[in-house]
Amino acid sequence: MTFVVPIGPQHPALKEPEYFRFEVKGEEIVDFDVRLGYVHRGIERALQERSYLHNIYLSERICGICNVAHTTAYCQTIEQLAGIEVPDRARFIRTILCELERIHSHMLWAGIAAHEIGFDTLFMLFWRDRELVLDLKEMISGNRQTSASNTLGGVRRDVKPEYVPKILRTLEKLEKATEQYINICTSDRTILARCAGIGVLPKDDAKKLCAVGPTTRASGVDIDIRRDDPYDAYGQISFDVITEPDGDVLAKVIVRLREILESIHITRQAVKALPKGPLRAKITPKIEPNEAIGRVEAPRGELLYYAISNGTDKPERVRVRTPTYANIPSFKPMFVGGTVAEIPIVLASIDPCFACTDRVALVDSHTGKTRVLSFKELRRWKG
Amino acid sequence: MPRILPQVLRNLFRRPATVKYPYVRVEPPEGYRGRPSIDKERCIRCWLCIRTCPVRAITVNKETKKPSIWLGRCVFCGECAEACPTRAIIMTREFELATYDIQQAKSE
Repeated sequence: MTFVVPIGPQHPALKEPEYFRFEVKGEEIVDFDVRLGYVHRGIERALQERSYLHNIYLSERICGICNVAHTTAYCQTIEQLAGIEVPDRARFIRTILCELERIHSHMLWAGIAAHEIGFDTLFMLFWRDRELVLDLKEMISGNRQTSASNTLGGVRRDVKPEYVPKILRTLEKLEKATEQYINICTSDRTILARCAGIGVLPKDDAKKLCAVGPTTRASGVDIDIRRDDPYDAYGQISFDVITEPDGDVLAKVIVRLREILESIHITRQAVKALPKGPLRAKITPKIEPNEAIGRVEAPRGELLYYAISNGTDKPERVRVRTPTYANIPSFKPMFVGGTVAEIPIVLASIDPCFACTDRVALVDSHTGKTRVLSFKELRRWKG
Repeated sequence: MPRILPQVLRNLFRRPATVKYPYVRVEPPEGYRGRPSIDKERCIRCWLCIRTCPVRAITVNKETKKPSIWLGRCVFCGECAEACPTRAIIMTREFELATYDIQQAKSE
């Protein structure tokens, strides 16, 4: 005899609405299903209605946390469409902003994961140190979150020479703090008990289900767009791709924390090697018919943009594939066989960030059959 | 012994990481993109700001025949300030913009 436990749509893991359906036998989870789409905003359609320059600010708002990754991917795609060469200095500044964003995103996630396992002290400490990165972002780009720094053909703001000492000083502080956190996370008994051996994603499944980003790197799959398909200044910077073989939640924590150290390393190199030169290239508002693809390693994984131009100043079609969308199928092997108590931390472990299409599932209590209702049916339905 | 204990004990004797906001204010850094303000004297009515605004927040005031920015729509990207040929629009460092009156939510 199995029971269905619905989780969501009110804030199941992070503060975003999504519906998860767990079939449980006692404490054990035997089946898992997901319905996405509570935050469908029609952004891809809206992208077709605006000019290329205005679209930068719309694509920035697809995700608040990885906004620099989104604008970088968008600008990269459009620059390929139009055949624009980005100046060297702009590419390095984009790299710096991308890495600062990765640090802040991973710290935010680590804080939430700590909160999810009931370790609120660690949550506070993580978020305290996250403020250091946000201050840097505010200083460089003029805002804590939506940086509005990328533009077609380059960047809008310079990293001034007087910023450099402060950046290096803060990075040093962060490095020390992160090393301490890695120490805590690998040895604290509470964390080990809640994270080790839980929500395991085996390497085969990670490959088969096409997981991306830290989720798949924690299962020992060695992929990273920054190294495999270098964009911006990553080709001129040396860094390691972090992998862990275990695939459980603890491995995902460790991968993300070690990636913070790697990001600090990259930012330091980029700040020191900042070449001189112009910040942006000239662009034309209209783009000849063409199509292009842009890939970026966002904090959560591979982010893909695809765009078609038609000779006007508006794109014919823009398609965005966010990393969470690619990671959703990998939930199933992580959940099945686990217990109800580990649902929150495993849900949070892929760092979810939702956006898709909308439907509702009905479960008949007599026959146990499931039927999916569309939004129109739901409005007419008076049950 | 929990590994986090030394950190927790150190925090007991440290001053708080937060500031008591309404009483203590942290000034945003130079170049912060806060409320945009328009200098009416300098405006030459070229309407470049209206064309570059990605959210169509800028309209023309019928009485003064000068642009005005509706802050309810503004995303504080600073494109108008960059596009303005006479630097009539600047981004101030003001960030406390909550108001009860909708007429107040406009750049003067």
